[in-house]
Amino acid sequence: MHSGILYSTAQALREILMSFVGIPIIVDIIMTVICATILLLIMATSALVFTLGERKICAFIQVRIGPNRVGPGGLLQSVADMIKLMDKEDIVPRGIDKWLWVLSPILLLVPSALIYAFFPFDDGVILADVNVGLFLLIAITSQTILPFLMGGYASNSKYSLIGGMRTVAQMLGYEVPMVFALMGIVMLTGSLKMSAIVEAQSNVWFIVLQPLAFFIYIVTALVESNRPPFNLVEGESEIIAGPFTEYTGMRWALFFLAEFSNLMCIGILTTTLFLGGWHGPDFLPGFAWFWIKTFICVLFYQWVGWTFPRLRIDTMLSFGWKVLLPIALVNVLLTGVGIYIYNIM
Amino acid sequence: MAQTEKFVLNMGPQHPSTHGVLQVQVELDGENIVGAKPVMGYLHRGIEKLMESRTYAQCVPYTDRLDYVSAMNNNLGFCMAVEKLAAIEVPERAEYIRVICAELNRIASHHVFIGSLTNDLGSATGMIYAFRDREKILDLFNIICGARMTAHYIRIGGVAADAQEEFLRDTQAFVDYVPAMLDEYDRIFTGNEIFQARMKGTSIITKETALKYSMSGPNIRASGVDYDIRKIDKYGAYGKFDFNIPLGEQGDNWDRYIVRLKEIQESANIIQQALDNMPEGPVMAKVPKVLKPPKGDAYHRVENTRGELGFYIVSDGSTKPYRVHIRRPSFVNLQALDSMCQGMLLADAVTAFATIDPLMGEVDC
Amino acid sequence: MWGKGLVAGLKVTWGHWFGKKETVYYPEEKLPMTERFRGGHLVLDDKKCIACKLCAMGCPNAALDLTVSVDEEKKRHMDSYKHNIGRCMYCDLCIEACPVKALSWDKNYEGASYFKEDMTYDAVVEAKNRRGNDE
Repeated sequence: MHSGILYSTAQALREILMSFVGIPIIVDIIMTVICATILLLIMATSALVFTLGERKICAFIQVRIGPNRVGPGGLLQSVADMIKLMDKEDIVPRGIDKWLWVLSPILLLVPSALIYAFFPFDDGVILADVNVGLFLLIAITSQTILPFLMGGYASNSKYSLIGGMRTVAQMLGYEVPMVFALMGIVMLTGSLKMSAIVEAQSNVWFIVLQPLAFFIYIVTALVESNRPPFNLVEGESEIIAGPFTEYTGMRWALFFLAEFSNLMCIGILTTTLFLGGWHGPDFLPGFAWFWIKTFICVLFYQWVGWTFPRLRIDTMLSFGWKVLLPIALVNVLLTGVGIYIYNIM
Repeated sequence: MAQTEKFVLNMGPQHPSTHGVLQVQVELDGENIVGAKPVMGYLHRGIEKLMESRTYAQCVPYTDRLDYVSAMNNNLGFCMAVEKLAAIEVPERAEYIRVICAELNRIASHHVFIGSLTNDLGSATGMIYAFRDREKILDLFNIICGARMTAHYIRIGGVAADAQEEFLRDTQAFVDYVPAMLDEYDRIFTGNEIFQARMKGTSIITKETALKYSMSGPNIRASGVDYDIRKIDKYGAYGKFDFNIPLGEQGDNWDRYIVRLKEIQESANIIQQALDNMPEGPVMAKVPKVLKPPKGDAYHRVENTRGELGFYIVSDGSTKPYRVHIRRPSFVNLQALDSMCQGMLLADAVTAFATIDPLMGEVDC
Repeated sequence: MWGKGLVAGLKVTWGHWFGKKETVYYPEEKLPMTERFRGGHLVLDDKKCIACKLCAMGCPNAALDLTVSVDEEKKRHMDSYKHNIGRCMYCDLCIEACPVKALSWDKNYEGASYFKEDMTYDAVVEAKNRRGNDE
């Protein structure tokens, strides 16, 4: 039924385990643990790779070279950074709401790690192919506001508080157009299942059928992941670092990890929803296509981020509500009309 | 019942976008600014007082430290004030070299303006581009005077040393590069819709307010007041050059940016004219080794990058000035910050700091 | 049309992405200092020096601390020439004040030091060392 190297490897592993253990449910549990570990590793590595990537790309755009001292061509720079961050003193400011403050960076990692379960990396390679996959994805990603707000409120710093409040306004303003934009895809596919969405793009990618939705998704995805030009939550020239202002060392690194994990998530989601997921010409396996597309998406997001200045909060919110939402609704309408015409033809 | 209250946010002196050590006490109602109160003095070094214990020639390097991104203009202001006091005639070639250096420094300072403005707007790339181009000017200064920022090149009675062939050639190359440079700025910042949305119609200073606050420089010209000391006083060699004074219309952040952008082009034009008509001759007047200006006082103002820079020097006939007072344009311009920020959002406050372009070395003196 | 400027900006950064870089690999590659560059340690030509102390008098910030001795033949000698880099503004006034052109900069801009004491050096000693190396 499914093809692809990853799928057959997993099947082979399952059979080996089956012959050793013999009880199906325990095999399932072991397989899940293995998959989850791999996903967490991917997430952690992505942070390492993308920090270096980000610094290199921003350097190239800014007519510089970027990190080039640690390791060959600066490849180990992010490892060195991680070691430095672990080494740093953990400063706990006075007057904070201790529990919320400590929990915030940890809780932020949960949604960003959780959504990896719903990504189809290759044909049949998806940890949890639930029927309401897309719905769950959106629900989980929208949870990232809470840790931001918690961190902002608990830090006992005005900069953090402003940053936390901005998160809420921004997420509320952009979650709605995003959902309506993705509605078009769901209408075309007729399913919320992630694997079905990818399957539906085997001939034509949704970027062709849903260009408006693609545009809205790119904008909202940048907002959701706090990437520039929508990084108002961090807005370093206005509110220092927003909710992260009072965090140091490893706690700050967790925010950082979540940020880059989110960056990869939006890359993966763009690939999965609009660029045909693991589909591609046969000379490369599916997962290779998947990662190539993801990396191109991430490069694109970084390119955009390092070119544009930041928007102001009021411009951004009015853009979300007054421009993107109507476009998204029009897109839903157009998709509906299109499907109707296609069906009667 | 929900209760709201205003709160004061102390921005600075440690803040990424307060241009040095400016502290601004911003009174906020949510994200809306009710008032902004600049607090100064974190960079006060007492330069006016230091000058009283230095001879006239020794004072000149201290003026480098006032507005450290346009040191040449400060040198020029002080030296011209002393020349007025001691009635020293400056050779013509020196006047031309002075103009070239002052205008180059104006461009360099506007690069800092563009760089810090774009950085404050969240585009670090813009900053790097502007600073990359500024580096070319600093290299020119390195050739002509051996220092990049604290030039100490313009001296009482002329300039420290004659401009070399290499300097003139490289300056010509830079002037030729200016149109391409401005074109790139236009493509990456000026044409950018986000940039325009952030700048247009924000932090308006009307003509009346600008005059009331006694603002000067590009800030008042952005409000539509035609006020440029280079045209009014025609000091030095400026009377011999043909140049326009770019004016803004309504005095918002956008106008303040555009006026400076146009000024870069005008400065390049002045440099071009100066290079073309450069006379030969000495570059230093006969100045006595021990300069003792006659008793009396003199005030001389020049158009600094940030506005009207004035030096008031009182001489008691000795080798050291009795009293020096410096009219610093940044300090005067900064008064308008409160009225610029009122009713704006927090993000606009940052833009307002950037477009007012204060330099703390000059504000605190 | 709205968005044209955004695309133009993207084109600029795209061009620079693959364009020439301005970075100089600093410790390996050093930019040459210009002829008039002011910086580093003062090089004192102690053969030329007449110990007139005009340089110290010209210094606006009292960065120079000189000791001069007079021998039996009424000849002045520079015994020590302490230059405090921490006070120096690199204004060039000392070099310009020298009537015999005995002073110059060594143009070594790598003057950072861990301790305040290292910021003061004796130009006479350095001049002797330099001569010792040459011989």
